[in-house]
Amino acid sequence: MSNAIGIIFANSGSDNLQGLAQERPIAAVPFGGRYRILDFALSSMVNSGIRTIGLVTPHQYRPLLDHLGAGKDWFLERKDGGLFILPGVMHSLAGSKDTFCIKDLQNNLEFLQKDYVENVLISSGDQIFNINFRDTLEFHKDKHADVTLIYKAVNPIDNDSQDQILLEVDGDQNVSNIHNKHSLEREELAPLNFVNIIIIRRELLLDIIEKYGSYGCIGLMVILASNIEVLKILGSPTNSSIGTIHTIKDYFDRSMDLLDLKVREQLWLGVDRTHTKIVDNPPTKYTSQAKVSNSLIASGCSIAGEVTNSIVFRGVILEQGCRIQNSIILPKCHIHINAQTNYTILDKSVIVHGENVLKGSESHPLVVLKKTVI
Amino acid sequence: MLLAGGQGSRLGGLTRNRAKPAVSFCGKYRIIDFTLSNCTNSNINTVGVLIQYKPFLLNSYIGLGSAWDLDNPFGGVHILPPFIGETEGCWYNGTANAVYQNYEFIDYYDPEYVIILSGDHVYKMDYTLMLKFHKEKNAEITLAAIQVPREEASRFGILTIDSEDRVTKFTEKPANPESDLVSMGVYIFNGPTLKQALIADKADYLSQNDFGKNIIPNQLSTGKRVFAYKFQGYWRDVGTIESYYQANMESLKDGHFLNIFDPKFRIFSNEDIFPPHFVGSAAEIENSLICNGCSVHGRVSNSILGAGVYVGEGVEIKDSIILPYVKLHKGSSVYRTIIGENAEIMENCNIGARGQIAPAYEGITVIEDYHLITEGTVIESGMHIYRSRAM
Repeated sequence: MSNAIGIIFANSGSDNLQGLAQERPIAAVPFGGRYRILDFALSSMVNSGIRTIGLVTPHQYRPLLDHLGAGKDWFLERKDGGLFILPGVMHSLAGSKDTFCIKDLQNNLEFLQKDYVENVLISSGDQIFNINFRDTLEFHKDKHADVTLIYKAVNPIDNDSQDQILLEVDGDQNVSNIHNKHSLEREELAPLNFVNIIIIRRELLLDIIEKYGSYGCIGLMVILASNIEVLKILGSPTNSSIGTIHTIKDYFDRSMDLLDLKVREQLWLGVDRTHTKIVDNPPTKYTSQAKVSNSLIASGCSIAGEVTNSIVFRGVILEQGCRIQNSIILPKCHIHINAQTNYTILDKSVIVHGENVLKGSESHPLVVLKKTVI
Repeated sequence: MLLAGGQGSRLGGLTRNRAKPAVSFCGKYRIIDFTLSNCTNSNINTVGVLIQYKPFLLNSYIGLGSAWDLDNPFGGVHILPPFIGETEGCWYNGTANAVYQNYEFIDYYDPEYVIILSGDHVYKMDYTLMLKFHKEKNAEITLAAIQVPREEASRFGILTIDSEDRVTKFTEKPANPESDLVSMGVYIFNGPTLKQALIADKADYLSQNDFGKNIIPNQLSTGKRVFAYKFQGYWRDVGTIESYYQANMESLKDGHFLNIFDPKFRIFSNEDIFPPHFVGSAAEIENSLICNGCSVHGRVSNSILGAGVYVGEGVEIKDSIILPYVKLHKGSSVYRTIIGENAEIMENCNIGARGQIAPAYEGITVIEDYHLITEGTVIESGMHIYRSRAM
């Protein structure tokens, strides 16, 4: 039995994902051929032995619940524990930029009160990773820490996100400072990026909620930063690749990373699987005209065209003579004879009629909204 | 009642480690998926699965039946192995004996009708239509029947019917079949009729306790109302290497009758979770079915790759069926071969090689599950490769 429960903040939205996050939270954006972004955080928790997981949902949660159901495909349909839906606060349109809003937790206080476990593992739901948290949970317990923050050493040039939280960690793994990147000068930047995954004592979290709940939408990280003197906050490093999806460029690049065997080995080909909703599609059918290279193809597709450097989701139909290059084709799209796409992301159920040519560029991929007919 | 205990010895290396219904079919399915999905799609929610031969992999595959939505509060899937009681108990001795020994199970649910199914056929069928026919004809027993080419008919039970579809004669596997209408091994019995028939069969010391050989002919001779329900559609017995291979290959044809892509009559399966398959830069795939989790770097044509298959660079696969988790390393070629699950073919092998033997002796090559073929091995067409076992 695990000594932790999990909470995933699946309510972060983004205005920078163009159409993809228009009607769904980032957590529910399809990714990697058959997954949704949320699957990665959820599977990592499940693979770490956590069997009680609360999901903070945003305003538009239909796509999330459609995907999750009762959590059966993640082994979360249980008598003891399971998957809990924690309706989040309705934010204003811009959304809250603070990581892990306390108000969201206060609204769902009972979820935290009724359990008996020592610790709570909290993760954001907008990242691509496959991490087994068992060792970190063990570390947190052995060191009698109040809080353990998971971080990754990253070259700051590789990460231009301004929302990034940076840590200063001393030789005993104590976190001595928590910064917001945009409040620092460029040369001061510590290369330790907080990866939005935290382990915190449940009792401490309840105390924090009681004390700060009335402050409106204040983030948990802000509270920890201001109490850094009184709390035992440790840092735990990870080597795993972690991809945050905030912009359409992130989405495109992280998707294309999957064509690299090294990334796939870390993410998918290890012992811990990434679980997702199972829909029992038949295998993918290639006709004799099909020409596919360097691509990921999900099940249930019918392929008669040409596909290069692309990711094709479940149930896509690619007719004869069509040409898909450097593109991401979401589920149930239908591309007719001789149509072409290059640097294009087609959202679900898009129909592209014959002879059309859709073209974006590497830095600005073209996004076609759900159910568009072209 | 789903009969899934047969050894399937005619499938050779494919059933050395598992019962026939658990053999992989068409990439992602196992043979039993079709019958279980038919039950689901026909609203049959209580299924007894009779098992005997090497049941471990079959049992773990079926589990609670949740993959087929058959985990119900009342009913559900029940695995029924042979057992011993206070005074009696023995291995299942024939299909009828297997059902007889589990009559307690049937009595527990006390159904009006019992449908006897076989776990080794590939077809899509709505059993509710057959039951409707059974009721309309006021029948005591209804057999599902299908027309097959006459030269194949002698592999099956042959039915002779009158103008009202009432069965007048049933002959199991005759040398000279007198019609091309054969039994599909799907029977609907009225509850009491089945019980009487099984008791009478048990008392008969000469009986082989088989539905086709004994029960049906005996019931006919006692004047029971036995009818034949003519099934129109795709149905294949995959009991031999040849028929298994043909049925798999047929699924590659366009406009195939067994439409696995049909969203209204889905075939469910207990799938392992795998990422999408990856197609490398040098890969060429033509007229094939590819499952999740595969990694393809070679050439694949007219073939079926099961889940998690690895195809190395320069590998050439033609007209073959590669079952799940097989690894094929660099430079090997495979022709008209069925490679069993988890088998590994090292570099530069030639499987199903032609030219060394007379074309008349060429055939389908079969590699057993878990077999390791060492580097540079040449296996001639038509060979069946097993591991020798000292046990």
